[in-house]
Amino acid sequence: MPVVELKGIKVEVDEDGFIQEPDSWSEELAAAIALTEEVETLTEDHWKVIHYLRDYYQQFGIAPMIRKLCKDTGFQLKYIYELFPSGPAKGACKIAGLPKPTGCV
Amino acid sequence: MMASLRQSDRSNTQGAQVKKAFIHLEPSGLPDHPADRVSAFLTAFEAILEYGNYRFLLDLYARITSRCGRCASACQVYQATGNEKDVPCYRTTLLLDIYRRHFSPGGLLGSLSAKNGKLTAAAIDEMVELFYRCTTCRRCTLECPLGVDHGLITHLGRYILSEAGIAPKGLIVSVREQLEGKTANTSAIPLPALLDNLEFLQDELLEMKGAAVTFPVDRAGAEYIFFPAVSDYLMEADTLMGNAVVLHAAGISWTIGSQYYDGINYGLFYNDWVLERVISRLVGEAQRLKAAKILVGECGHASRSAKHYVPAFSQNNALPVVSVLELTWQLIQAKRIQLDPTAVPERVTYHDPCNMARSGWIVEQPRRILGSFVKDFVEMTPNGARNYCCGGGGGLVSLDETHEFRMRVSGKTKAEQIRRTGADIVATPCANCKKQLRELVEYYQLPVQVVGVHDLVLRAIQI
Repeated sequence: MPVVELKGIKVEVDEDGFIQEPDSWSEELAAAIALTEEVETLTEDHWKVIHYLRDYYQQFGIAPMIRKLCKDTGFQLKYIYELFPSGPAKGACKIAGLPKPTGCV
Repeated sequence: MMASLRQSDRSNTQGAQVKKAFIHLEPSGLPDHPADRVSAFLTAFEAILEYGNYRFLLDLYARITSRCGRCASACQVYQATGNEKDVPCYRTTLLLDIYRRHFSPGGLLGSLSAKNGKLTAAAIDEMVELFYRCTTCRRCTLECPLGVDHGLITHLGRYILSEAGIAPKGLIVSVREQLEGKTANTSAIPLPALLDNLEFLQDELLEMKGAAVTFPVDRAGAEYIFFPAVSDYLMEADTLMGNAVVLHAAGISWTIGSQYYDGINYGLFYNDWVLERVISRLVGEAQRLKAAKILVGECGHASRSAKHYVPAFSQNNALPVVSVLELTWQLIQAKRIQLDPTAVPERVTYHDPCNMARSGWIVEQPRRILGSFVKDFVEMTPNGARNYCCGGGGGLVSLDETHEFRMRVSGKTKAEQIRRTGADIVATPCANCKKQLRELVEYYQLPVQVVGVHDLVLRAIQI
């Protein structure tokens, strides 16, 4: 797997830019990955989604159901797409350091 | 930054010549040296001919194909590119020439004179690309005057390639988790997460419909064991709630199996061994829970693979396979569920998943379901068994690297069809199609919402 340097942090990623070790995630890294996902600045609402995704992942080992993400953050799906243009399953999960989703996701 | 990332990925991996191709390949199985790839391909082809049932078909096709090109008029990929390599019979001929030259009696002499069919690494690279530019929608099969099933040839070509170690990483990673991983499903959803999702959906249904609808797990002796595309448990809450509420309202006994809960079978896209192993997991879980029938959720390839291959791979007494669309229509006819005809005032159109509609199996049922409560229903043209593919069939939608192709080439015709209907909602009962259509809607800025058939049933059902 290739190693990329994002804002001075060296990290191993797959061909789509998902980090390989969820434990190597940090908020600084999230901000650096965000730049590759058309997210210039991480606002409070971005962090709310990111932290929710990470907490859920740490408890269950997978991203939450999209509808659950919307319900628990109080954000509509449309707004989550505004926050993360490539969507919750790809962009938001990538920034939150989750593995690349597999199957028909 | 991402561009440089992709660059470094390519230069770092083995088999760079093939790696740059249309799809990302699984590098571990890929023969590195070109000569090894040729040898691996021929060995795999030979083994498949010896131990499979494909020889009689290839014998027949090798004799009758005339390359008349009529299939070109049916193919949305060719229509978009105008490239002769995208004509279905061009692609089919690549494999038939290799068969004639290497595996048909007396074929060698004839092939030598025609200078066709000598297998090279470059020919393999061409097949990798062309067999994965085909969405296996099989629309061309309807046009072929000789009845050649080009979709089946694509399937066989991909099968041989995969046995030679050449297969898309996006499919392999998912299948490995499904057949050998801890979670036993393509989306890697652990059981506690599944149970958490089911509890969440039950709470949502209570809030929405005021009814205690359950998602039963491991209920032995149920009439139906339910296998949706497992990705529905992440992506399609409304479809699943629609499924559950129909079964609840009609008093059907059903269950989800805790040991195996994924309807997806990527084997249909690239490998018969995978196809069979996934079917045996499905049937094994149904037997463990002593279910009478297999109920497949809103998923085209999952429905077709179970419908055709549960009987094919069962010795005796194959369990019946039923689609949720068949069952819901039966329940409406029997007046066991009631739908509110004012619940969906929007204009709705229906997209036929190829794996359900091409054979004529599921064409009428979803239209009658929708017709029973949707006031403003409009058809695309053409539709039903002659529908156009969403552009993401044959597993392509699960390969992110094909996005550009799916938008600009294979999905272009479908986007135009949808736009012409003027519909507010496109309903389609397939996880694959939903994902592709949502991406098309975004790409072409179409003013429509993409949902499942049971998403609309959920809105309308009265309990």
